[in-house]
Amino acid sequence: MSTPPPSSPRQWQSLEHLADTPEFRRFLAREFPAVTDLCRGPERRQFMRLMAASFAMAGLSGCDSEPDGRTHEVPYVNNPKTIDVGGKAEYATAWLVDGVANGALVFARNGRPLKVEGNAEHPWSRGGTDVFGQASILDLYDPARSQAPRFRDKASSWGAFRAATLGVFAKLRAEGGQGLRVLTGPVTSPTLIAEMAAMQAAFPGMVWHGHAGVNRGSSDAAAQAVFGRVVDTRWRFDKARVIVSLDGDVLDPGPHQVGVARDWAAARQASAKAGPLVALHAAGSLPNLTSAKADFPLVATPVELDVLVSRLLEDVVMDTAAASGGTPAEDWRVRAATALLAHKGAGLVVAGTHASPAVQEVVHRINAALGNIGTTVFHIDPVVAQAEPLATLAEAMGAGQVSALLMLDTNPCYDAPGGLKFTEALAKVPLRIHAGTFADETAHSSDWHLPLLHPLEAWGDARAWDGTVTLMQPTIQPLYDGRSCIEIVSLLVDADARKGRDILRGQWQGGQDDKAFAGKWNGMIRDGFVPGTAAAPVTVRDDGSRTFVLPWRAALDGKVVVLIRPDASVWDGQAANNPWLQELPRPLTKIVWDNVLTVSPAMAQREGLKSGDVVALSVGSRGIEGPVWVMPGQADGVVGLTLGGGRAAAGLLSYGVGYNAAVLRDGTGDPWRISGVTLRKTGRTVALATTQDHDTMEGHDFVRVQHEGAAPVGENTSWSQPSLYGSPEHNDDPASPARDAPKLAQWGMVIDLDACIGCNACVVACQSENNIAVVGKEQVALGREMHWLRVDRYYEGPPEAPQTRFQPLPCMHCENAPCEVGCPVEATLHDSEGLNLMVYNRCVGTRACSGYCPYKVRHFNYLDYSAGAAPTVELQRNPQVSVRSRGVMEKCTYCVQRIQDARITADKLNRPILDGEVRTACQGACPTTAITFGDLTIPESAVVAARGEGRHYALLGELNTRPRTSYLAARAAAGVREG
Amino acid sequence: MVERQLFAPGADAVLRLVLWSILLFFVVGGAGVLAWSYSDYIGGVGVAPEQPVPFSHKHHSGELGIDCRNCHQQVEYAATAGLPPTHTCMTCHSQIWTGSPMLAPVRESLAKDEPLQWVRVNRLPDYVYYNHSIHIAKGIGCSSCHGAVDQMQLTYRANSFRMEFCIECHRAPENYVRPQEQIWNMEWEAPANQAVVGAALVKEYHIQGPQRMTDCSLCHR
Repeated sequence: MSTPPPSSPRQWQSLEHLADTPEFRRFLAREFPAVTDLCRGPERRQFMRLMAASFAMAGLSGCDSEPDGRTHEVPYVNNPKTIDVGGKAEYATAWLVDGVANGALVFARNGRPLKVEGNAEHPWSRGGTDVFGQASILDLYDPARSQAPRFRDKASSWGAFRAATLGVFAKLRAEGGQGLRVLTGPVTSPTLIAEMAAMQAAFPGMVWHGHAGVNRGSSDAAAQAVFGRVVDTRWRFDKARVIVSLDGDVLDPGPHQVGVARDWAAARQASAKAGPLVALHAAGSLPNLTSAKADFPLVATPVELDVLVSRLLEDVVMDTAAASGGTPAEDWRVRAATALLAHKGAGLVVAGTHASPAVQEVVHRINAALGNIGTTVFHIDPVVAQAEPLATLAEAMGAGQVSALLMLDTNPCYDAPGGLKFTEALAKVPLRIHAGTFADETAHSSDWHLPLLHPLEAWGDARAWDGTVTLMQPTIQPLYDGRSCIEIVSLLVDADARKGRDILRGQWQGGQDDKAFAGKWNGMIRDGFVPGTAAAPVTVRDDGSRTFVLPWRAALDGKVVVLIRPDASVWDGQAANNPWLQELPRPLTKIVWDNVLTVSPAMAQREGLKSGDVVALSVGSRGIEGPVWVMPGQADGVVGLTLGGGRAAAGLLSYGVGYNAAVLRDGTGDPWRISGVTLRKTGRTVALATTQDHDTMEGHDFVRVQHEGAAPVGENTSWSQPSLYGSPEHNDDPASPARDAPKLAQWGMVIDLDACIGCNACVVACQSENNIAVVGKEQVALGREMHWLRVDRYYEGPPEAPQTRFQPLPCMHCENAPCEVGCPVEATLHDSEGLNLMVYNRCVGTRACSGYCPYKVRHFNYLDYSAGAAPTVELQRNPQVSVRSRGVMEKCTYCVQRIQDARITADKLNRPILDGEVRTACQGACPTTAITFGDLTIPESAVVAARGEGRHYALLGELNTRPRTSYLAARAAAGVREG
Repeated sequence: MVERQLFAPGADAVLRLVLWSILLFFVVGGAGVLAWSYSDYIGGVGVAPEQPVPFSHKHHSGELGIDCRNCHQQVEYAATAGLPPTHTCMTCHSQIWTGSPMLAPVRESLAKDEPLQWVRVNRLPDYVYYNHSIHIAKGIGCSSCHGAVDQMQLTYRANSFRMEFCIECHRAPENYVRPQEQIWNMEWEAPANQAVVGAALVKEYHIQGPQRMTDCSLCHR
């Protein structure tokens, strides 16, 4: 990358933006690429294919003269006791990421679960959510879900399965279980673990294997090496004064994200008040959310990282930071080591799941040497049940030692390391039973496929990241003839198969008296967790040795190093069939419907690669092909891959999207880092759909940064001029005083950019709450994505090592809204509470409002995106929000349906709406409580307090739009260079 | 010299007639189409659709005096008033009129556990979010919208629910609000002093001013 031209912006969104190329200028000038390309034809087929999920099961609609199907009213025969007809219900349950729970409240109307919210009382997740939780509701209604048992890909039944396997399992039992193997995903469920123990007792020769695409083996190996036993590491951010992340992933997606991000944000907020700010130092080879939020990010190659980690341990042991060698990595080390040594016992050094075992080992030793263990770092017994690895299963299968294999909620034929040749080995097993939510790759390679219930349909339990036992209850009658994992094990082991509820209740009742337990049980189910079950810290002692990492030998002679990471949206591919997640712009690349191979700008220049070029990667006989993406802030010489693409089971929405990175894994070595990979250009180029330059605003200073100790960067001057519309100061309806009506609310939102980690939970929550359509890759490429809330990602500084900033952007609800001036039919106008409304029925589709909007938050329905959805998908739609059709503009409404709901409740009680009573979907979803929403006329409301902060500013406030949505500047610790 | 007109004054009479006729045609025709589209015929007012059971509100509500809320149970609490489940019909009709052929679909519904399918009488477009409970809480009685249901042998639509109908009241609720004890009274008519009573009630119910009451977001989301 050459030096940026002098005209380049301080904050930039893409490399094209930074270089200020003529192409980028033209792109900006077009403003709406969606319109210029209106007449493109043939790609429509591609669009149809990608939209398969929406269209596959679709019935024909539009032939009925009453198209909304409301010609009849159909009451119940008997009103169900469990459904409050016309009202809403909420169920405490959980969503699982790799078997680990986060507490959820699922809202249902008339028996249909519609929205996942965080369970505020849950000790770990405390009301936060992540993208997986928000999107799990759509999985429930996925028309591609497996609906009945299958035998060798033909429809069958549970009765037939029972009949066919009864004899086999009786024989296995008689033989002591020799040859029986069970393969599961990560299991934390105490009930399933107890069942597996019972199964082990009944079949003593059985072996239980565990497998996950996001393998935690490196962490386990490191703990084993240092402490002599496998333990999980947990952190106390509230006690930390400095945080150092070495190839860390603390803020990145995963089972830990919700709680850890909350802890981090709380610690940051508290330290900013008390001073000094808890700085985050983060070194890594691939940029991620953790490095994006770091005050001091460092881009280091894997080799540099190994050296760095060793030298940091040296510094800590020697109790002094060795002088810097003058490189950025050395400067970073000195700064981090000095801070850690100044805060012994109050520093926190973290490594990621994907960090090499050696790095993780040294991180344990650094924490031990600094005396951090017991204060900021503690250890617990592993939350995930320990099981044999997949490699030994593949070996045994290959050797013909496995006579029956039960695969529970796992898809090894897709995500097993390519080096294990799992599918070939599986063919040698006489009886293969697979249980999964989808008829996936493994289902097609199995004799029996059993449909699993979706977690929102089943009884179950699981542990949260802190060990808290979280209970799951059904939120709807099962849509299909499935069973849960605990029911399937019971079916195979127990003489009489038990129901999920009985199994779960039995597990928690234990020997307790039935009557005495009934009350306790109801309490547990109502709360959704068992109080006081967080894992107690265990005392571990570091073995005292001082091994340092030997610098890892990077590949030479033209080979590249590949680093693999889970995908921020589709994780390891489990979530790949969810269109909300596929169309969710990845936090840093903003790419949708694809996974890419990221390379550094320098490597791209050296190899002559540009974004979209298809390259082939191969190691031995295994290889993949995928498009390159030039990634600012990535270490040179490595290629970054993400899991979750390349699904191969036909009939799935995710079929053929991206490549499957697991193919390159060998199954025995480090699953996250593969060396000796050959990179070959194929000469082909594909179009990637990315939203990073869409909706680019004109102006500057979008994300402000409050440097510690500097003068406040916020201001209030931008709305000092009088407003034409109702505003907090000017709020009197002339007729109101005579009517003694309560004062109207004036809604406002403040988004804290320091707390925002760019996780996208708010984007999916908004999509789920507001019936926002999925449009497909082709349409996104045309700039027609429909997300009402986008998270803009800005870079500052050189492309080799930039600072990253996130900025969630909903409608600003400007008091002087430019869009309203543009509309010829008054389809967009203000209401008395300061909301900028969009009246769909008035909209004639001139799109003038979007042209007038300086924030580019309006989205137009170029096609009838919501039409023709599968009947089950329609069940998910929020009946409180209109489904938009072709030709109308739409945008964020501040969740007006929730405001009206609260308004009606309050009006019936003749009281005003209380502060905190209305929570927008994005606000409720945020794991770090970055979003504050409320009534600006209540002086003591949280939103007024936030507006009073010195960091408070209005985006493009100089336009005098008087936005009701405003921002708190991101913080930067002392010592961060001011840009 | 006398100037001679080339054409007599009446020469363009036909043209004028045609032009005026065209204009008249459009004005009258337009007015006609408008009147037609606003007519009760198009609004479906007064038409009782054929129902699976010829249920009579006049008999049950008017003559027997069964309270509205006996069947429309959620009307005070939820957005929708709700229709009674078959079970509610059968609480009485398992005792009386047990063999009536008219009630055969009801018995069949209970026996087969298949719901009755009533033809919808009152219908709002799907982009309108109406809430029964708040209207009742704020003094709008059933008959204000649904008419004298207790006099309906077969149920029909009493008003065509055009936006104008809603807005008329939202602009001036003092003309329509009643005291709470009159909500269920199907014969209620505005008293002579409604101007005074209504204004007092609007104050008592804390109803917002016309600007707020006609905000689009009140009913459209």
